[in-house]
Amino acid sequence: MSATAWAWLVLLFPLLGSIVIALGFKALPAKAAGIIGTAAIGLAFACGVAALIALLGEEPELRHHSSSLWDYASVAGLDIKLGIFVDPLSVFMVLVVTGVSTLIHLYSFGYMQSDEGYHRFFSYLNFFVFSMLLLVLAGNFVLLIVGWAFVGFASYALISYWYRRETATRAGMKAFVINVVGDIGLVLAAFLIFRELGTFDYATVFAQAPQVFDTNESTVVAICLLLLVGAFAKSAQLPFHTWLPDAMEGPTPVSSLIHAATMVTAGVYLIARTHVLFALAPTAADIAAFVGLATLLVAATIALVMTDLKRAIAYSTMSQIGYMVVGVSIGAYSAGMFHLMTHAFFKALLFMAAGSIIAAMANEQNIDRMSGFGKAMRFTSITMLCGGLALAAFPGTSGFFSKDEILAYATARGGMYLIFTVLGYFGALLTAIYTFRLIFRILPGKPCPEAQELIDSGHVHHAHPFNPATGEEEDTEVGFPGAEHHIAERSLPMRIAMGALAFGALFAGLVQVPGIDEVVGKFLDPVFEGVVLSHVHPSVGAEWFGLAIGAAISLAGIGIAYYLYVARPETPAALQRRFSSLHTFLYNKWYFDEAIDFLVVRPALAIGRFADRTFERVVVDGLVNGTEDVISAGGRVVRLVQSGFVRGYALLLIAGFAGLALYFLIVSS
Amino acid sequence: MTNSLLWTPLVFGLLGLVVPRRLAGWWATLGTAATLGLAIALLVGFDSGAAGLQDTVDVNWIPGLGVDYSLGVDGLNLFLIALTTVLWTAGTAFAAFREQERPHLFFLMMLLGETATLGAFLAQDLLLFVLFFDLMLVPFYFLFGAWGSDREDGPTAAAATLKMIVYTLIGSLLMLVAAIATAIIAADGGQISFSIAELAQQPLGEGSQRWIFWFFAAAFLVKMPAFLLHGWMPDAYRAAPLPVLAVFSGVLAKVGAYGFLRVVLPLFPDATVEFQEVVLVIALASILYGSVMAFTQTNVRLVAGYSSVAQLGFITAGIFALSADGADGAVLQMVNHGLVVAPLLVIVAILAERSGTEDLTKMGGMAMRAPVLAALFLIVTLATLAMPGSANFVGEFYILNGLFDSKIVFAFVAISGVAMSAYYALRLYQRTMHNRRPDGIESREIGWRDGIVLVPLVLCILGLALYPQLILSRTDKSVARSVAATAGGRLGGPPKTQARTKGESPLPCASGDACSVFWEAPPAAPSRRGSSQ
Repeated sequence: MSATAWAWLVLLFPLLGSIVIALGFKALPAKAAGIIGTAAIGLAFACGVAALIALLGEEPELRHHSSSLWDYASVAGLDIKLGIFVDPLSVFMVLVVTGVSTLIHLYSFGYMQSDEGYHRFFSYLNFFVFSMLLLVLAGNFVLLIVGWAFVGFASYALISYWYRRETATRAGMKAFVINVVGDIGLVLAAFLIFRELGTFDYATVFAQAPQVFDTNESTVVAICLLLLVGAFAKSAQLPFHTWLPDAMEGPTPVSSLIHAATMVTAGVYLIARTHVLFALAPTAADIAAFVGLATLLVAATIALVMTDLKRAIAYSTMSQIGYMVVGVSIGAYSAGMFHLMTHAFFKALLFMAAGSIIAAMANEQNIDRMSGFGKAMRFTSITMLCGGLALAAFPGTSGFFSKDEILAYATARGGMYLIFTVLGYFGALLTAIYTFRLIFRILPGKPCPEAQELIDSGHVHHAHPFNPATGEEEDTEVGFPGAEHHIAERSLPMRIAMGALAFGALFAGLVQVPGIDEVVGKFLDPVFEGVVLSHVHPSVGAEWFGLAIGAAISLAGIGIAYYLYVARPETPAALQRRFSSLHTFLYNKWYFDEAIDFLVVRPALAIGRFADRTFERVVVDGLVNGTEDVISAGGRVVRLVQSGFVRGYALLLIAGFAGLALYFLIVSS
Repeated sequence: MTNSLLWTPLVFGLLGLVVPRRLAGWWATLGTAATLGLAIALLVGFDSGAAGLQDTVDVNWIPGLGVDYSLGVDGLNLFLIALTTVLWTAGTAFAAFREQERPHLFFLMMLLGETATLGAFLAQDLLLFVLFFDLMLVPFYFLFGAWGSDREDGPTAAAATLKMIVYTLIGSLLMLVAAIATAIIAADGGQISFSIAELAQQPLGEGSQRWIFWFFAAAFLVKMPAFLLHGWMPDAYRAAPLPVLAVFSGVLAKVGAYGFLRVVLPLFPDATVEFQEVVLVIALASILYGSVMAFTQTNVRLVAGYSSVAQLGFITAGIFALSADGADGAVLQMVNHGLVVAPLLVIVAILAERSGTEDLTKMGGMAMRAPVLAALFLIVTLATLAMPGSANFVGEFYILNGLFDSKIVFAFVAISGVAMSAYYALRLYQRTMHNRRPDGIESREIGWRDGIVLVPLVLCILGLALYPQLILSRTDKSVARSVAATAGGRLGGPPKTQARTKGESPLPCASGDACSVFWEAPPAAPSRRGSSQ
């Protein structure tokens, strides 16, 4: 079978899974829902591998195919087909998405066991995977927007999955609305592309764009900036990032799958996918790179002070996506995509480990209350350490190779781009510190009561379900979140998922060692062959030099974290007092939420209130006041309606119409 | 075919008067279902390759005045007719499942309303159109006034209805005057004819077009309703019985939009071009105002009502983009909006039954024991906010793309309505279905009775989401012809049929366009494809 046929199957299985689970919510036992859901994604992964094999059987320059099923909406010159585009980039994304998703489904199978919304959860989760695959396989901009919005919806649905919590529904709404703003950016970009090129089809757009646009022409810059609005909203880059930390209201497997490993990297994919346009608009590409850099640093500083375990990891996600955005924007396409892959492994793993620990804490997410889990939960601790090492770019782990490849490329471009190298390494230092801040506070030390309970009695701590954001008690009538908590030590599916990811986090970097194998680069490079920037290559020597610096910085960061949180545990508090205003500033996340609230939300609501309370009464109703006389005259008619007059009138009407109808039936036949 | 389609509801309605009381509703439902069957047959037999009228009936009615009884189907009204029959079947069935006072009269009025609406869609004679347009008012006057509910803190149902009648009657009278004037001026002393096709052959002089345009526009904009002319809507929406409101909101508002495409664009092309921007401003104001109001309202009916104002604003904007894709989108969106607002109001009725209130702030948590209802509601909500992947998105996409090509600044303003629609639609869903359940609110699954009303409507939404081409491919030719009339006027100029190639400078700035407001590359006027017919 051809690669495109396999790709259609990749789309089919998750969609079927979602529909079957949703329709069978009464008939299927809960376990079956989980098995169907996991199997559907597993099959999609298998088909993805088959597509890869089919693609590898062809010449590198011929590895791109379009295929379409039917005209979706093609009239008046618009060409919108239900079509997919298969090339190494989309297949790479398919493999990352389905691979990680399979493991996360497996994890959810254990983790969500006692939740009564099991069917709903797996149906949404499968729908999400379908949407994400649609996004990466779409063959034109309209279908891209469809996939783009579908993942936004799936994200909304899963964030507010525990919909009895008002914090969850509010967070879902926030994510959805910000993502709709991103969708609008994409829609406008599509309009502009269509106006200039007369098509929405990827293959045609990318082939024609270099012939039509001059470099840095305002139109193509505008297109790219609009695409960036979409990319930033989805990938939580400044200033559209505020929804991501709130999205941690969703169950932890959701944070792991959607808000770390896959969906939030869609923006990176989009920039890589439209690299032809960005190559024509270097200004827009530079803007993207600088936004990525700013996000990387801002998020890393916030992650240093967050006390909520999941939110701290969420800020880390933002920061790492910043690296990817920098990568694909400055031209390090395959490096950026490679970092996307390794990040998917270690970040998904970190969230899973966090989920396991939060379960052991009976939903408590505050790291100030955690310690000593190293003894209580061996497996979770070891896998968490693996994820942490990869995130901190410890020499030899996957994150080490992928992050440094981006920075080596920035060095190779030289000039202004050295800023990215320098600040990128600074970000890496912060990354190592905040990662090991979490690890040193949670794993070693004297066990906290919950950990002690686990060690002493072997019981997972039990508490009445409560909302970790507000401390409010959940109503138990609902049955979700489930009353019981599941930790990796007690659940085989969770262990398999985490073990596989830990392996990936540690060793996936070895497929792309500079000067040795570079598998990912060789596979992806033909996609980016056409643009100038793809011909900039750092020398192998320079790459190894960069790796050496990276190694030193990573070790230094871990060392600093050790000093602060293990050797001298009183220093953080002292620092916090010394720089209290800075701490407050960071702890309040640079006041982005407040700024958006002040600039957007309040004015909109104020306008709404004005329209409702003042305008509607004075202007709109005022127009009628002149006709008041008519109304009071009409009042007499109304009284007739209420008397028996209505019947008489109706009879008259009926008679008249019957006559008319009869007449026409006779005449026209 | 068209004749039997038109009169079947009324015939059933009249025969229904002698049916036993408790069967009246079922008899009426049977009538609407039969009409639906005829409409489906019409749809199947439709030749999508033709732009002109099909299945025409043309009888000399009042020869002395040149009034013909002439009906016909083309791409403009085909799916609106289908929509009418679908929604009426659903609305009548929903009403039949519930106890109605004076059922004979209620269902007679319902069916009379269907005939009148179908007549307005089918009429190809200007005066016949006006007559059916006004006839629509009669049954709804009684349905709202006599079966509506009085509000404690507001006007009685009768007063609310009267307000609606005053508004629409003024519009209707203006339209009647305009219709007669059109025919007389066009005849220029010769034989008077009200045939829309004939009138379109020789447009009036510019001076007459100007005022007649506004007389028609007034009637249509009130019906929609558009911004500043929507004063009747809040009271009427709160008073109306919900099954009636579902068909009213789903279909009648579209008659106004349809009127623009059927009558105004072909008959008054010069005035249309001249006032394009004025109407677009009204449309944008409707979008923004409707959206803003929709997210501040706490009454569930009014959220639906104001969201309709915004949606009809989109439809108007699509028509007045004066390009084929904009108008294609508008027709598609008329069907889409009908298909979402009717189930939305049915759901509102169901929710109100469970909670005993229509106040959003007092609802919540109703998804708990009602997963099917929640799923159906969610699909309707997503379609309402024009989620990409729904046919509503395709409609908005076409509308905005048409607008983007002809009036780029308007497109940018209009698209902000999309973000707001996401907020108000989700807010409606969340406030009713999610969060904690206050005391006294029941969370109960829908029974099969509500299911057989709702599920088919939702299936229609899903079906169109998968294949919006079904509508687009059948409407495109007629729509393009309707829009093409305006391209001959001031808007004219060589259509740009090819995409740019390198070296060619960005498109020239057309006078009157706001290109200086935006970045350097200005919009082309006319749009590349809009006038390619």
